[in-house]
Amino acid sequence: MTLNKAFNYLFIIAMLVLPAIGLIKFHEYMDRYEMFILAGTGLTFILINKYWRSFGYIVSSTLILSFISIYLYQGILLTNEKQFFLKYFLSSQSAIMWMCSLYPLSLLMYWFYLFKKNSFLGNLASQLTWIATIMGFTGLLVRWYESYLISIDVGHIPVSNLYEVFVLFCLITALLHLYYEQKMNRKELGAFILIIISIAVGFILWYTFSKGADEIQPLVPALQSYWMKIHVPANFIGYGAFAIAAMISIAYLLADKGILKSRLPSLIILDDLTYKAIAIGFIFFTIATILGAVWAAEAWGGYWSWDPKETWALIVWLNYAGWLHLRLVKGLRGPMLAWWSVIGLLITTFAFLGVNLFLSGLHSYGEL
Amino acid sequence: MRFAITMLSFIGIASVIGTILKQNEPYENYIIKFGQFWFEFFEAMGLYNVYQAFWFLAILIFLILSTSFCVSRNSPKIIKEYKRFQLNAREKSLSSFKHSYKIPIKEFNINKLETFLLKNKFRFKQQFNNDGSVIISAKKGDFQKLGYIFTHLAIIIISIGGLMDGNLVLKMQELTGSKKIIYEDLALKDIPDSGKLTTSNFSYRAQMLLREGEKQSVAVLKAKEGYFIQDLPFVVGLNDFRIEHYSTGQPKSFESDLIVEDKKTGELVKKTINVNSPLSFNGVTIYQSSFEDGGSELSLDLWNLHSSDKPSPMKSVIFKENELFLDKKKYLFEFNDFRKFNILDIEIGNEKRPTNVGPSFIYKVRNESGQANEYQTYQFPMNIDDSSFFVSGMRKTPQEDYQYLKLPADANGQLDGFMIFKTLLNSPDKVSDAIEKVVTKSFPNGGEKSQIYFEGVKRVISEFIAGGYSQVAESIDSSVSVDNQKRIANSYIKIIFLLGQELIESYKINNPNNESFLFENNQKFVQESLTGFNDSFFYGLPIFLELKDYVHVQSSGLQLTKSPGQFWVYLGSILLVLGIFCMIYIQEVRLWVFKKKTNKDVLLAITTNRHRYEFDQFAKKITQQIRKILN
Repeated sequence: MTLNKAFNYLFIIAMLVLPAIGLIKFHEYMDRYEMFILAGTGLTFILINKYWRSFGYIVSSTLILSFISIYLYQGILLTNEKQFFLKYFLSSQSAIMWMCSLYPLSLLMYWFYLFKKNSFLGNLASQLTWIATIMGFTGLLVRWYESYLISIDVGHIPVSNLYEVFVLFCLITALLHLYYEQKMNRKELGAFILIIISIAVGFILWYTFSKGADEIQPLVPALQSYWMKIHVPANFIGYGAFAIAAMISIAYLLADKGILKSRLPSLIILDDLTYKAIAIGFIFFTIATILGAVWAAEAWGGYWSWDPKETWALIVWLNYAGWLHLRLVKGLRGPMLAWWSVIGLLITTFAFLGVNLFLSGLHSYGEL
Repeated sequence: MRFAITMLSFIGIASVIGTILKQNEPYENYIIKFGQFWFEFFEAMGLYNVYQAFWFLAILIFLILSTSFCVSRNSPKIIKEYKRFQLNAREKSLSSFKHSYKIPIKEFNINKLETFLLKNKFRFKQQFNNDGSVIISAKKGDFQKLGYIFTHLAIIIISIGGLMDGNLVLKMQELTGSKKIIYEDLALKDIPDSGKLTTSNFSYRAQMLLREGEKQSVAVLKAKEGYFIQDLPFVVGLNDFRIEHYSTGQPKSFESDLIVEDKKTGELVKKTINVNSPLSFNGVTIYQSSFEDGGSELSLDLWNLHSSDKPSPMKSVIFKENELFLDKKKYLFEFNDFRKFNILDIEIGNEKRPTNVGPSFIYKVRNESGQANEYQTYQFPMNIDDSSFFVSGMRKTPQEDYQYLKLPADANGQLDGFMIFKTLLNSPDKVSDAIEKVVTKSFPNGGEKSQIYFEGVKRVISEFIAGGYSQVAESIDSSVSVDNQKRIANSYIKIIFLLGQELIESYKINNPNNESFLFENNQKFVQESLTGFNDSFFYGLPIFLELKDYVHVQSSGLQLTKSPGQFWVYLGSILLVLGIFCMIYIQEVRLWVFKKKTNKDVLLAITTNRHRYEFDQFAKKITQQIRKILN
């Protein structure tokens, strides 16, 4: 208990001091918005940690691992081919590969747990997800650092292409899952949510090995803006939450048909969780789309250009607005809404991936 | 309500069509894709510009109207509800709630209860009834209901903002005939008034292409296949345009140094704009949107590939034409583009990397019958397979890939070596001297055999010089039996190669100061030069344009936006987020405490309009706390 408290204070101090050090040391490389974002990130983390204590542990572990990695690099990119720990654990590529192997493993454990109801298995599954998430975030942070090692002007936050945002998608989805898992104190749903994460992992692996997508590329002029640091993560909280909602809905539909019913939480809980996930996703997706419009006004000269990505964002938004409307205003529940949320994920996936694959437009950063 | 949802679905479907069918393409593309009949049908439907089609805008307006109606009908109720405390609730109705409890009391301490309610953020009212009973009606989370007004109001405000920035007014003017789209390429002074939009135009998104050093006070507003001219309240001047590159050659930034001067007040603003930082001036925002060549000046050397002529210089300008007579035939050179940076995948070591290979220029050469080939010629030699080549691509139609003519760079990395070589090939006496030497080497003692050999070599060489290897092959096909063709061809290739070597060796002896051929071994160069010479017969043009020097002039593509609706869209957006937040995260709770005059207990009832499973826990918790207070 006291240890927890001590950690908590330490975390608050770290979240104030670290951004401050960043500001003092690197302020000449940042504009005022970026400074604001840096300071704001620390404060936001303190706030989140207040409501969800484990968040602080994830942030701390990630930061510690990242700092070790940075220390090991000694400022030279090629160190990652020689240094043992970098080569196998802490270079961004290795850390992300650890993430990619641990998520499917934890999926397996979650399914074992679902059938055996053995709490050891459940904890193991959960812990693997925690570790995978920490490794993934470390991978992204180190990648951020590596981009600066390539060249000062190449350096940028790793949310700029399809590879990077897929990693982000896995991580945010996992984070939301861990949050709900802890709040509900039930571990069955990992068996469903980790499916979508593992599919994304499969994509990352294919994308890495067949297309060499993990290479760090410099930013095109339109992306060089502080807005990217807000717009992209906000969007992916939305996507992640919608993905979780769809996976829980699948569990709901199965349980509704009597499949796995005895092993899953009650329909009411599943239904409520779906609603919560869609609600939080909807808020973030709305904010992300609005911020995207503000950014578009700055970079492309118009807050709305009916670019395919924008248009599909609108369609996704209308879809979930309709869902929430029926549920909140009309009080609708049940399988119909569950089906809708599953279909919603298909629409979301098209907006996220399909638009990049099949339609051309201003958002053509993440082409395969 | 149902109507609004239908409208929204329509907008959704129309939007999907707009993303699948590429918008605002040149009309020929649509004709090719759909055929004449469907092209006209789709055009009538406005599908090439869905988002500005009449029916789309009409749906939007309907949506605004129906939502407004909805809000105006429901808002008074909601506001009334917000103010109302249900103090007239009676025991019977209260005890019918799911969370309704009888709580025994020692004394009825209203103050304590009210402190508790305040602490838990309830608003409340109390009422003493005539029959001596007391009722306290408390509630919290009313903002959930206001969320309804916020979100719907937000949709109305955003839509109105969007319509303000649309081109509704212009569409009306087109409909009444007071404005007409211009479809021809006209000089500014020839533009009729019906094609000009004044500065009072409410909103627009227009384009302007500005050359370095140029000033303009009008922009172009694209419409269907034509355009309008938008008059601006200021003059925009471009001092300089810069592109910066990463070390890999990818573009890093586009920047324009602008001077903007207000036409009326003379107010002057200087600013460098780039992709993420536009300039706002008098309600118009100027963005960096594209760039192209602005008429760069090129200094060229013209090398005739099939004669011994010396190069002749030529000056040309991008977007201008040069007329040339070659072998009494007229050629029209149309210079279309100059690119200072060209990023190609070039092999470095073992892997291919995107690399900047330096400037290139693109031109079309039109012959007398009007047919044209397109060329892209690079200024500097490129490394290909461990050798260095001057490269020029040729294609007959824009759909094809370029076919490349590769001329080897000499020992100095210049084109001179190859050009000396082709001059030697085109000098009959130099060639016959060399043939003689080649023959003498093979037959040191002369004799009849050497004479026959001499004649044979002479014929092969003259065929090669007249038309390359294919000419030689043709003569082999017609004069040698099939069995021997391969052997003969190989020996001819060998002879041509030996001749090439001999030409260069003699040249080196006669010109000891020339360093073009200072190779350790010139075999490779001779081989590549012969290939280059041969390929030049398929180049479609008897001359090679070498870029010696250039003056780079660029144009910056600007977008000028007047968007009075932006403020409203942003305001609506804030309201929208607020509204959604209220609707989702605020739970409305109503609570009553009712005590009859004589009773030793009170009736507690708690309810919510949206029943979620957590609410039960919440209600139980509150009940327990109240029980404690009153006990």
